[in-house]
Amino acid sequence: MSASGGRFARFPHHIILFLAPATIIYTLFMIYPLLDSIRLSLYSTDGSGTFSFAGLANYIALVTDPQWSEPFWNALLNNFKFFCVHMFVQNPIGIMLAALLSLPKLTGRTTYRTLIFIPTMLSVVIIGFIWQLILSPLWGVSETLLSFVGLTDWFQPWLGQEGTTLVTLSLISVWQFVGIPMMLIYAAMLNIPHDLVEGAIIDGATHWEIFWHIKLPLILPTIAMVSILTFVANFNAFDLIYAVKGALAGPNFSSDIMGTLFYRTFFGFQLQLGNPTMGATIATMMFMVILLGVLLYLFILQRKLRRYAL
Amino acid sequence: MHKAKKTVSTLGIHIVLLTYTLIALWPIFLTIINSFKSRKAIFRSPMSLPGIDTFSLKGFIKVLVRSDFEIYFMNSIIVTVATLTLVLLLGAMAAWALSEYEFKGNKWLGLYLAIGIMIPIRLGSVSLLQLIVDMNLTNTLTALVLVYVAQSIPLAIFILSEFMQQIPKDLKEAARCDGVSEYTIFFKVILPLTRPAIATVGVFTLVPVWNDLWFPLILAPSEQTQTITLGVQQFIGQYVTDWNAVLASLTLAIVPILIIYILLSRHLIRGITAGAVK
Amino acid sequence: MSDIQLKNIDKAFGKVEVLHDVNMNVKDGEFVVFVGPSGCGKSTLLRVIAGLEKVTAGEIHIDEELVNDVQPRERGIAMVFQSYALYPHMTVYKNMSFGLKLKKHDKQEIDHRVRHAAETLQLTEYLNRRPAELSGGQRQRVAIGRAIVRNPKVFLFDEPLSNLDAALRVQTRIEIAKLHKKLDATIIYVTHDQVEAMTLADKIVVLHDGRVEQVGAPLELYNSPANLFVAGFIGSPKMNFLKGTVASVKGTTVEISLPDGKTITIEHDAPGGENDQATVGIRPEHLLLAGPKEGLLKAEVDVVERLGDVSYLYCKLSDGTAIIASTPGTSEATTGDTIHLTARIEKIHVFGSDGTAWK
Repeated sequence: MSASGGRFARFPHHIILFLAPATIIYTLFMIYPLLDSIRLSLYSTDGSGTFSFAGLANYIALVTDPQWSEPFWNALLNNFKFFCVHMFVQNPIGIMLAALLSLPKLTGRTTYRTLIFIPTMLSVVIIGFIWQLILSPLWGVSETLLSFVGLTDWFQPWLGQEGTTLVTLSLISVWQFVGIPMMLIYAAMLNIPHDLVEGAIIDGATHWEIFWHIKLPLILPTIAMVSILTFVANFNAFDLIYAVKGALAGPNFSSDIMGTLFYRTFFGFQLQLGNPTMGATIATMMFMVILLGVLLYLFILQRKLRRYAL
Repeated sequence: MHKAKKTVSTLGIHIVLLTYTLIALWPIFLTIINSFKSRKAIFRSPMSLPGIDTFSLKGFIKVLVRSDFEIYFMNSIIVTVATLTLVLLLGAMAAWALSEYEFKGNKWLGLYLAIGIMIPIRLGSVSLLQLIVDMNLTNTLTALVLVYVAQSIPLAIFILSEFMQQIPKDLKEAARCDGVSEYTIFFKVILPLTRPAIATVGVFTLVPVWNDLWFPLILAPSEQTQTITLGVQQFIGQYVTDWNAVLASLTLAIVPILIIYILLSRHLIRGITAGAVK
Repeated sequence: MSDIQLKNIDKAFGKVEVLHDVNMNVKDGEFVVFVGPSGCGKSTLLRVIAGLEKVTAGEIHIDEELVNDVQPRERGIAMVFQSYALYPHMTVYKNMSFGLKLKKHDKQEIDHRVRHAAETLQLTEYLNRRPAELSGGQRQRVAIGRAIVRNPKVFLFDEPLSNLDAALRVQTRIEIAKLHKKLDATIIYVTHDQVEAMTLADKIVVLHDGRVEQVGAPLELYNSPANLFVAGFIGSPKMNFLKGTVASVKGTTVEISLPDGKTITIEHDAPGGENDQATVGIRPEHLLLAGPKEGLLKAEVDVVERLGDVSYLYCKLSDGTAIIASTPGTSEATTGDTIHLTARIEKIHVFGSDGTAWK
């Protein structure tokens, strides 16, 4: 970071003025609430507004007391499943699309890119409802489509069944957000010097061999970054489940993830009263999980992958 | 022989891309065309375009009459524009101070502000709600704006300061030699120069704010202050069996974003690809 | 090793024509250099031979086989790129063995070839390092090693020395020359540096604006340039060009008058008419100091550069033309001096108004 405006006879008012508004808003509305939530998680309340210090009792309850731990572990496991679907479906598709789009001399590349990215731009609520309609047995659109490929019998009301709801919602989310890994990896592929590809062509590699042996290793850092972004986004997810399944994340909590659990716990829903301290506890747990992932990425993955620097 | 092989593989590539594009666009297309059809037509022939006998604006009328759609829309616009303006202005100021001036703790402050990029703001919602209540800002658009600004500023500062570091030193030195105040330099020289980056920041800020469901739901759920995303969600929840209305409200929610996207897609894509390089 | 023949090659990128009717042959074992200023099409010509670009018209034959539609990997070529194009995530060994591994050669065979090439290029101790850990010169050798290992019919070099510093450039140039002899390889080498061309080539192809200006051995191009462009391109410092006028034509004997009035006489078949413009070219190293009577040119000295072994005198003729004369040793001339210069008639070149050489 350079500075040429360093020498001042008087106190540098302007630096403060430039930095203050942003820092104040950021601290007040992001950092303070976060820290305060962590503080709250160490308290318990009895619903009347009095808070008493409880130490780690909330955390212990969250993890062991069946009233809390069952939904907690259920949600955590679901989040993990949610993440796996994204990692193993969204990101490979994104990589494949990026690889195809970055091939030299591809006509219509910009058009494809612009169009494929459209779902990512729309609100999750909209996407959720559209798919709810399409997958609804009442409308019959899915059945008609499946009949085109002869798979009519395969149709089930996937969004209504306990065993398939989460996966279906995950796939809907994948459908929406494929654009992001696609774009990021596309950019990374464009950064690969063209000579390397030509050298490989002369060395006798087919397009597939070039992708597998040359391009893929060189974009591993970007893939790692996409993975951590997916991780953070998935563990923060809420909107889709809420929009399609409501705060109860049915059927029978099979689509409950940390986000919906958090919402229900701290805000309350229908019969359940809001419990701010337990809500704060859940939020802090989410924070820990995300932090763990980010730290793993920063200190292990990033370091390992720096070897591939061009 | 080689020519034929090449054509086949090019064809194959286009088939794959086209198939995926269809998969990506078809549900949206389906929604829009069916929102203009009569209820019977929606069910009988969902895949066909609205014809003369199937065309109907029933759903749209209901949406516009039964809900305060215009209000939701205005709210979304107000919140988004206000957030964008503040984020750009305050973010640019902070980015400038961080990248230009040497002062003790510059690096730490930068790091402090950058943490927010990875930490989801929603996790502090319990205390955030309490704070908004204490400030008497529940059910106000102001609350939303303040929260969104806090949410978007870290990334904005990051993008803008990287950009500002590339402004040639000579420009700044020349302005200083002219004896101009630091404020003037910032507003008259630096700010105009950052226009390309501002497009990127704008796009990264605009989309999550416009599409957000969580904070309108928690901080400003009243009828007067609902944003379009929340409004559509509530409306659909209410009229879930009225397919015309549901499809119409979805279409009304899609169209503004689609228009903005088509106008700005170049900037958006350039922004994401540029950001990826970092 | 093999022959290469190019017949009537045209290449256009969209509407922009980059190569026009290029014809040339490369014989087995020859070291051919494509040389020319930036944008003359030499790299494009190389890439067309490699198969990285397709020709718009014309035929390419390698070893008597028409290869226009043949993929690069089946043409039996190996290329050394200007930027080396080494795979950053692979060790030197893997970089060199990559192509062979793809062709599924026997592991032992691959090892043997890689180690042999590494030895030739003194890379053995670097085999397990990554390109990022090597110096520019070492990376260059790895790029060459990668080419050697494939036992290609032709080696293609695309400005391989441009990214090296001056001292390393000279050293590597000599190594490439030695390599050529050792491998008895057919090499096509592209450069914009005429010194590299003159020192390395068996045959030079001078390109300008997508056209072949002249093909010949280095000294042939030096002594008998076919046109103004080649005359001005080959040789450093550049050949001096003086404005001449045809004074008289008697059959095939032409008298040409020089700026100061003196004349020279040459033989030429179709010299045109009297008062036609002609350009007279004399290389700085061929200008000799003379007295006022024998001198062909009178010049005023502007600047003198003394390099120790040679001195360059930058002068102006009476008609304003700037010329350079080089004299061995340390010259005693100073700014403002009037000097007289002459040259042996066989070292004087004459070019017609269209640029082609008369002599």
